[in-house]
Amino acid sequence: MKRKAVFPFTAIVGQEDMKLSLILNVINPALGGVLIKGEKGTAKSTAVRALAELLPAMESVHNCRFHCDPNGINYLCDDCAAVIKAHKKLPVESIKMRVVELPVSATEDRVVGTLDIEHAIKHGEKKFEPGILAQANRNILYVDEINLLDDHVVDVLLDAAAMGINTVEREGVSYSHPARFVLVGTMNPEEGDIRPQLLDRFGLSVIVKGEHEPDKRVEVIKRRLAYEQDADIFIAGYSEQQNELAGKIMQARQLLNKITVDNKLLESAARLSIGLGVDGHRVDITVIKTAITIAAFHNKKAVDLDDIKEAARLVLPHRMRRRPFEDSGFDWNKVENLLNDNA
Amino acid sequence: MLMQNMYPFTAIVGQKQMKKAMLVALTNPKTGGLLIGGQKGTAKTTLVRSCRKLIYPQQIIDLPLNATEDILFGSIDIEAAVNEGVRRFNAGLLSRVDNNIMYIDEVNLLQRRLLTTVFDVMELGTNKIERDGISYEHKAEFTIVATMNPEENTLPATLLDRFGMYVDVESEMDLSNRVAIINREMAFEKNSGRFCKKYAGKTVELAAKISNARHLVKLVHISDTMIQLAAQMCAKAFCRGHRAEFYLLETARTLAALDNRSYILPGDMDEAAVFVLVHRTNTPSQEDNEAQNESNQTDNNVDEEQASERTGQQPPADNENSDGDNKDGQACSDDGNAKDENENTNKSDNDDGNQQPNMNSPTADDKITDIDKNSFVPHMKVEKKIDRFNRHGTGKRTITKTDLKQGRYVRAEIPKNDITDIAIDATIRAAAPYQKVRRKNSKCALKIKEEDIRQKVREKRIGSTFLFIVDASGSMGAYERMRAVKGAIFYMLQEAYQKRDRVGMIAFRRQQAEVLLPITRSVDLAQKCLQELPTGGKTPLADGLAKALQILSVQAKKDMDMEPIVILVTDGRANAVEKNDADPIGMAMHMAEQIQQRHIASVVIDTEADFIKLGIARDIADVMGALYYNLDGLKKENIIKIVQNISNL
Repeated sequence: MKRKAVFPFTAIVGQEDMKLSLILNVINPALGGVLIKGEKGTAKSTAVRALAELLPAMESVHNCRFHCDPNGINYLCDDCAAVIKAHKKLPVESIKMRVVELPVSATEDRVVGTLDIEHAIKHGEKKFEPGILAQANRNILYVDEINLLDDHVVDVLLDAAAMGINTVEREGVSYSHPARFVLVGTMNPEEGDIRPQLLDRFGLSVIVKGEHEPDKRVEVIKRRLAYEQDADIFIAGYSEQQNELAGKIMQARQLLNKITVDNKLLESAARLSIGLGVDGHRVDITVIKTAITIAAFHNKKAVDLDDIKEAARLVLPHRMRRRPFEDSGFDWNKVENLLNDNA
Repeated sequence: MLMQNMYPFTAIVGQKQMKKAMLVALTNPKTGGLLIGGQKGTAKTTLVRSCRKLIYPQQIIDLPLNATEDILFGSIDIEAAVNEGVRRFNAGLLSRVDNNIMYIDEVNLLQRRLLTTVFDVMELGTNKIERDGISYEHKAEFTIVATMNPEENTLPATLLDRFGMYVDVESEMDLSNRVAIINREMAFEKNSGRFCKKYAGKTVELAAKISNARHLVKLVHISDTMIQLAAQMCAKAFCRGHRAEFYLLETARTLAALDNRSYILPGDMDEAAVFVLVHRTNTPSQEDNEAQNESNQTDNNVDEEQASERTGQQPPADNENSDGDNKDGQACSDDGNAKDENENTNKSDNDDGNQQPNMNSPTADDKITDIDKNSFVPHMKVEKKIDRFNRHGTGKRTITKTDLKQGRYVRAEIPKNDITDIAIDATIRAAAPYQKVRRKNSKCALKIKEEDIRQKVREKRIGSTFLFIVDASGSMGAYERMRAVKGAIFYMLQEAYQKRDRVGMIAFRRQQAEVLLPITRSVDLAQKCLQELPTGGKTPLADGLAKALQILSVQAKKDMDMEPIVILVTDGRANAVEKNDADPIGMAMHMAEQIQQRHIASVVIDTEADFIKLGIARDIADVMGALYYNLDGLKKENIIKIVQNISNL
């Protein structure tokens, strides 16, 4: 089967926040994913699916069901760990990072994995059949309409997302494997809200709106029509831009570990959290991590205040508690003031 | 899984209480396990994971939320049964956890049934299995460590009580500590191996301390004085049962052992009380209160300050929610009136910034009233009326049946009617012992007959859905009315949370109604909304009802099983509408009629308190087909009967 053509990421008009947040997560999978909120028809799903084309190659253990990272000794599956314990070398191959979709209708057993029925009936043996979380290890886990996901599926998702491990104790099988994924969710807030605990698992969040400038709207229509007329030609037209962006992502990935952060900026991130009264320390850490990733994306050596501000814009909104009869839970002026005071 | 480099225990910044309690739990299983509750992102899970290195070769075994009964308790060994034709026991998680630590993350989301049985096994120290034709018994001595974020649902008091210790964690507020946390986290992520090595020395030291304390703890003498002190402390905290004294003494003993002493100091008891009594402290009833006053006069042994410190940290499931507690004091500091005597502002210096009066931007006529938690306790009683004729009617049952396929698979049973949802694992287990006989003419290893088939039993959280529509207009703010109203709603929320119901809240004032809380199971959030709800302005009652209808119709699409109950709290004095020319009361009546037409169960709580009563709320109740209660009458009756007609849904 020929692979279905995908609308190129770089051909999406506007929606800069959404594009940036997705790119940042590809550069640094430790950011914790992104929640994209917005009305229908704002290219949410298109952007996530288009992201697949930009994903970098990564080293992986050959033939491993969980595509373990041969260099990540902390997160190896049992099979790979056994190889290391026997002081043997893991066979390495290069594979592409993927977007794994979790459909809203997915059942719990498909998500976490379950007893391999065929194997049990044919051979009378118990074997673990990996589920979607196994596929998602080291990849992007995409949940469209995440607010409509069944409660008990959300529970298991929370469990895995918190630990980076999927522990299965069900239907006669007992198994655990690494499940470190970038969680990308999209939702239309009109259709109901998302559970607060799940919300907190997202590192970043963006709100997308339809473009309001007539010029841009026209451009959206034009590109869509051109794509529908002949996808191959359209995609070819963007290949240069796509390659450029993919190259930038690769470069930023290599730069990531070399970026420095001034202690003063760490302090301002901490002050920001205290000043805004957000729960826990995840905000401080995520703001800094995001700022580092932004700096890497811009090919800088050190994080500056602007990076922190940009990071705060992506990290904070969904973590602010909204109060009754208050227009927005997020007061950007306050954030600016808190950050500028410290600078 | 190989997890060599977990974030080290000794590298965790601050959180002294949580760390201490953890050490106690690891040292002495008799302290009854530990529950850690608190905000997200406060290193709860990190702490538990980090203990792996401290107690090696003991293990920390996870009980995941997806666990099914067969694997937890153990079951028939399928492979042995199929291949050798013998019935053999295949040990489950409870057998693996023997002599180890069981860790439950997000324990508030775990099926209650499982949690209860796990506690039963822990207290008994043995696991008895009678299932799948297997009868077996094995030792299961372990310590439970659990974490939860009470933002979404907490545990009921009966389950909280079974944990020996409880610790509530909050974020570090010290700036340099916060920076240290970021720095260490970054360093760990960059190179976990090097980071762990840096703390390896301290980790070894701490592990030695634990192992030393484990030996010492049996030698720590419990004197009669300490037993008396324990009894006094527990009596003062109105603990139910006698578990508390026992845990208190064991914890004090362990604290002494960790301090390398073979005797208990009163300080150990005080420290232990913080861990052991926090989630057991009950609000005394009227008589108890008097009794306490008497005993206070005669007995000065227990330091008053100690007692207040203990009650200052209420667990989330207690009548006074700990989170609510923190904020109560602050929210009303805006205007300083309506302070609740029972509120404890001890911890308000640790507040999370909610104090900013500007954030909420109340205008001059707005005020935020405190929740009156002492006035009365209305119990909600939901009666489900089932109409036998409609039950077999059009298509209703099919919906329920397909819906049964949703939900979490908890166990399997022999099917009673048609088989719709096969539990394949249970079916294989049932068939396994006969395979040797059956296999003769078959290529497959397994031959399943009809009598083997088992059906899945699924559990879905169906509770009622309560949608509160609260009048927050200026007239409600008068005469301290809002305080009583908030009190009433507060108790209904408490009740909703205990029953695992879902709640939503709409408030209306000034020109419009606003959805404060979309329908959710987070009663904690609802309480925060309620706490911060300002009053003032006009009464757009119709808009409030319209918003309710809108929410419910969206929700109904998502969840067919939903049984919504609308609770309208108002004085009925509607005086604002979207379009200025319309009649506010007429509009409200119109909306009420629509609610009635959709057969939504509803209750109206009338808060009208003026000398001249207009009785509009009563009329609205009639139109809506709602049960009508007067706020003052509610105080006497203490019960709200809600009749739900299931067939109408």
